[in-house]
Amino acid sequence: MSQSWRNDSLFRDGSLNRGRLVLYAILIFVAIVWGAPFIWMFVTSIKPDTEVFRYPPTWWPEQPTLEFYTRLFDSFPMLAWFRNSLIVAVITTTLTLVTNVLAGYPLARMRFRGRRIVLLIILSTFLLPGEILLVPLFLGMVNFKLANTYFSIAVPPAANAFGVFLMTQFFLTIPVELEEAGRLDGCSRLGLLWRIFIPLSGPAIATVAIFTFVRSWNDFFWPLVISNTDATRTVPVGLAIFVGRGLSMRFGVIMASAAAATIPAVIFFLMLQRYFVRGISTTGLRG
Amino acid sequence: MTSVAKTMDRPVTSSWASIRNDLVAYAFMAPYLVLFILFLLLPAIVGVYASFTKWGIIGEPQWVGLRNYDKLINSEIFIESLQNTLYFVILAAIPLIVLGFLLALLVHQKLRFRNIARAIVFLPHVVSVAAVGIIFQWILERSSGLLNYYLGVLGVNPPINWLGEPESAMPAIAITTIWWTVNGNMIIYLAGLQDIPEELYESARIDGANGWQLTRHITIPMLLPISAFVIPLTVIACWRVFGQVFVMTRGGPQGATFTVAQFIYETAFVRFNMGLASAAGVILMLITLGFTVVQLRAMKVI
Repeated sequence: MSQSWRNDSLFRDGSLNRGRLVLYAILIFVAIVWGAPFIWMFVTSIKPDTEVFRYPPTWWPEQPTLEFYTRLFDSFPMLAWFRNSLIVAVITTTLTLVTNVLAGYPLARMRFRGRRIVLLIILSTFLLPGEILLVPLFLGMVNFKLANTYFSIAVPPAANAFGVFLMTQFFLTIPVELEEAGRLDGCSRLGLLWRIFIPLSGPAIATVAIFTFVRSWNDFFWPLVISNTDATRTVPVGLAIFVGRGLSMRFGVIMASAAAATIPAVIFFLMLQRYFVRGISTTGLRG
Repeated sequence: MTSVAKTMDRPVTSSWASIRNDLVAYAFMAPYLVLFILFLLLPAIVGVYASFTKWGIIGEPQWVGLRNYDKLINSEIFIESLQNTLYFVILAAIPLIVLGFLLALLVHQKLRFRNIARAIVFLPHVVSVAAVGIIFQWILERSSGLLNYYLGVLGVNPPINWLGEPESAMPAIAITTIWWTVNGNMIIYLAGLQDIPEELYESARIDGANGWQLTRHITIPMLLPISAFVIPLTVIACWRVFGQVFVMTRGGPQGATFTVAQFIYETAFVRFNMGLASAAGVILMLITLGFTVVQLRAMKVI
């Protein structure tokens, strides 16, 4: 569309007329509104106690300190939470990738009885509010003595249909000729998937992987319900229960813990931005 | 939306080959279907069943018919949680959709640094609700919070006790939510904008259409199919609001931010009344499904 706006009097390229100035002003305002909370969190986390409540707010401490980042690990079992989050996210992501790639293949590439109904049932769960699942899942896990295990936190979220949908859509775009050639060479279905589809699906697989990982890393309601020991508790649950519960006076530590939880995610995002964009624009789902 | 790619399967000749073909297809899907049935389909069905029972954390469920629903309808707390959530949906869903669209329009313009602005708006997407809740409690703090300070600079006095007063707590949760999740809608609309054929604008411009008319008569109608799923997904997400409230207010002050999801959490996992919580879950499901159907009807999608 930008092309079409270019010749419009308000949006002519090259010259900074009033319309463009307004757009730039809005752009800067937007960047500030969305960026400032991150900076504010970080700045607060390196402020000594004496400066935290200074009013008007200061955007850089007179005496920056990293003391809270070192105290963080004495105050909360952050390392355990991080380890748990990592293990859970890896299990969910691996399980999701393997099952979704396998399921996407026949849904996109084979004719079989029940295909439409299977697709319809799977996709209709996009509209299902997950709250209805919490009680049965919880009772099931408790019944099988699986509460407070990595299994109980990590496996149910792998049933999410987003990746199946994305893989199916992507497999549909792979040229038929490649598959035909493979079949002439006597490739089995599994061989076709392994040697032709998977190598060509790097971007889609990466999107599913990264998306699932972040969704799992930030998942909140289910881990909150099913884990109540630090042996399995993940970062968001630990933060919400012990750190964020009505902010106490230990402000530096609180902000340092929020920052410690956020900074890895931000770096991760900046490295892999385009995959997030693709994942969202394909399915409209968020974590 | 998905149709089998043409050709890849010749017409199946014998019935044995057809059965074999079906078996192969289901074998591929089996690992996912096991997960899907065990952790999605079955729990959904059990959830509906549980709503008709009295079910504690231990022991067998007892069938009680519609008693849970009857209790809910007559429960002031539950009705209030419905009203609070509806209020949140109105406060948050409309800006999430409109602002998502406007932000997409903005970062779609050929502007320098638009990619940086896009990335910044997108950043909150990877931050957990726990961290978001912590950051915004601090920003919304009454006496030394950032928001009140800058509102004061703009002449808003006296400072608002955002999370401490029943009137302002839900708007504060909505502001937090918009900051946190508007990026999803922005990205979806942006993808839609990039798919609109350039020729449409060119021919309209030849007819003398201005920027506003182009937006009104080309951009918005062309994005209608996208809105058809952005709107229900946004509204469903808003009805399910939980984490922000759990971290920032725990439903307070005076129950002003007590939402349906919060009700389900407390009923099921604090008071272990599984049947009643399931009934509330079913009602939540019916509300979101009802809304989705009405909205898709109105947009003539179904």
